[in-house]
Amino acid sequence: MNRKTRYFMLGSFTVLIVGLCAGLVAYYGGLPAGLTAKQAGPAELAYVPPGAVVVAYADIHSVMTSELRRRLKDVMPAGEEKGQEELKTKTGIDLEKDIDHVVACMVPRETSATETENGDSGFVAFRGRFDEGRLEALAREHGAEVGEYKGKRLISIADREKEAEHEGHGIARTMVLAFVEPGLVMFGDRRAVTLAIDAQTSGQNVRSNAELMRHVKDIEGQANAWAVGRFDVLASRANLPEGMSSQIPAIRWFSAAGRVNGGLAGIVKAEARDEEAAKNLRDVANGFLALAKMQAGSRPEFQSAMQSLTLGGTGKTVELSFSVPVELLDAIKAARELKIAP
Amino acid sequence: MTRPPSTPSFFSSSLRVFDLSLGQMLWSRRTVFMALVVGGPVLIAFLVRSLDLLGVHAMRVDGAPLSGPSIFGLMIWVFYLRFTVPVLALFYGTSLIADEVDDKTITYLFTRPIPRGAVMMGKYLAYLACTVMVVLPSVVLVYLLMVPRGGGNLASSFPSLLADLGLLAVGLAVYGALFAFVGARIKRPLVTGLIFLFGWEPSVLVFPGYLKRFTVAHYLQGLAPHAMPQDSTLGMLQSIFREVPPLSVSLIALALIWGLFLALAVRAVDRREYVLEQ
Repeated sequence: MNRKTRYFMLGSFTVLIVGLCAGLVAYYGGLPAGLTAKQAGPAELAYVPPGAVVVAYADIHSVMTSELRRRLKDVMPAGEEKGQEELKTKTGIDLEKDIDHVVACMVPRETSATETENGDSGFVAFRGRFDEGRLEALAREHGAEVGEYKGKRLISIADREKEAEHEGHGIARTMVLAFVEPGLVMFGDRRAVTLAIDAQTSGQNVRSNAELMRHVKDIEGQANAWAVGRFDVLASRANLPEGMSSQIPAIRWFSAAGRVNGGLAGIVKAEARDEEAAKNLRDVANGFLALAKMQAGSRPEFQSAMQSLTLGGTGKTVELSFSVPVELLDAIKAARELKIAP
Repeated sequence: MTRPPSTPSFFSSSLRVFDLSLGQMLWSRRTVFMALVVGGPVLIAFLVRSLDLLGVHAMRVDGAPLSGPSIFGLMIWVFYLRFTVPVLALFYGTSLIADEVDDKTITYLFTRPIPRGAVMMGKYLAYLACTVMVVLPSVVLVYLLMVPRGGGNLASSFPSLLADLGLLAVGLAVYGALFAFVGARIKRPLVTGLIFLFGWEPSVLVFPGYLKRFTVAHYLQGLAPHAMPQDSTLGMLQSIFREVPPLSVSLIALALIWGLFLALAVRAVDRREYVLEQ
């Protein structure tokens, strides 16, 4: 082996080893994330309890001002605008201007709790500009009570119907509107909202849930709406019949993200229990995709959307990406008009 | 009385041929072809990252950028698994003995006091070292360039990188053994190899049935950590009729193909009389 060959082998070996070491160090968490990337997810994740099984985010402002929504308004029935006007009159909130983004989460009931004592909880946090006085006055009008929890103002609205239904069981779910910081309003059941305040004050929040945060970081990208959750936990709480629950694929995590602009581009991911389960899931999805693509063959307006469906994924992950072009809405609108016309 | 020099063992003979052949193989004209084949994906990855840094987001689907790991998985399938590995194995594997025959230099090797089969084994090892040391660093460079884009991270894709590197090395070894046998035994090895790679394998994989068991690609797909992309109608058909063999079956089948064809290639060189054209 001459010197030139030896140098080549050495260079090649060095590239291989450097790459593998970089991957290995990153895999074992040795690369400081802050050097290369910002903290994953919106700041409101500081309020999400560490035990949350579903976390979702939506950039309402960019969705409301998108071209897709403008086109959707043309296609959808006129009732939506009326509802928006009503909300604005009552609360002073203009959905198109006053809400920037929302973060929602679901916290499972405590394992020791029974169904009647303590169900799954959740809240939605709205970031934007709100007239707090007006909201409080409106709540009081509807019989709400004002209180405080760790210095945060809570407006409690008891669910009267459920209270009557379960009279004597002491399980009436109280919904709470909380002004947790300027420009951040939280709405959810009392347990979830108090857990959120605890999470923020103690610093023990969902950011310490490494597995969930890995999925958030993986999915958020440039999406303006996303959701991440534990599929197995949700499925186990759905009280499905025995036959049906045994047919559910062995998925542990699911995540979905969408980017709304001219059209809608999205990706749905599932992380299976093992690689074998992921392969099976891919095979099943492949079959459905092929069938759907064949069905769409006779509908040219759907073809571009169907062709955009792409199945992928690595290892335990199964991914389905899609895009809905804005032209599809035009085609739906045209079809509607054709049906309406005598 | 002086003892006659003993014949070196098969293993040490193979290493001598390996040492001799590696440099020849690495600095031959075929290396330009190999550099183009493995340099293409690296260049594409470099261009995509450069455009990202300049704010021109290439590789988007309806405005949203494709995630780095997705592109990396796609590149492994399309560039490496379906093209680079079989084509490099074909061009290098079939030429291991055929080149020596064409250049009429095989006589010099066969007149050495080494087992004839060791010539094939040494050349096969040189082919494997040469291709592995070029293909795998190229994959690592694509991984480093491509995976961190679009929300991807090196950590979560590291296990699939390891699987990919192993898969490609196995692919080079198995296809290499197959084409080494073709080169040693069949008269027009390149044409036969091309028909096998681009005729037999893709067509058999499209149809349901047992024929796909007579391909290497079928078992390599069983090892792939990435899902098969459905970028074309053929790809979609292949994915529908694809019966992915279990990992253990794939590994056993690939080991059998590798062992069988390498042994046959060594045997062919050992027994065949090469008649050089005058």
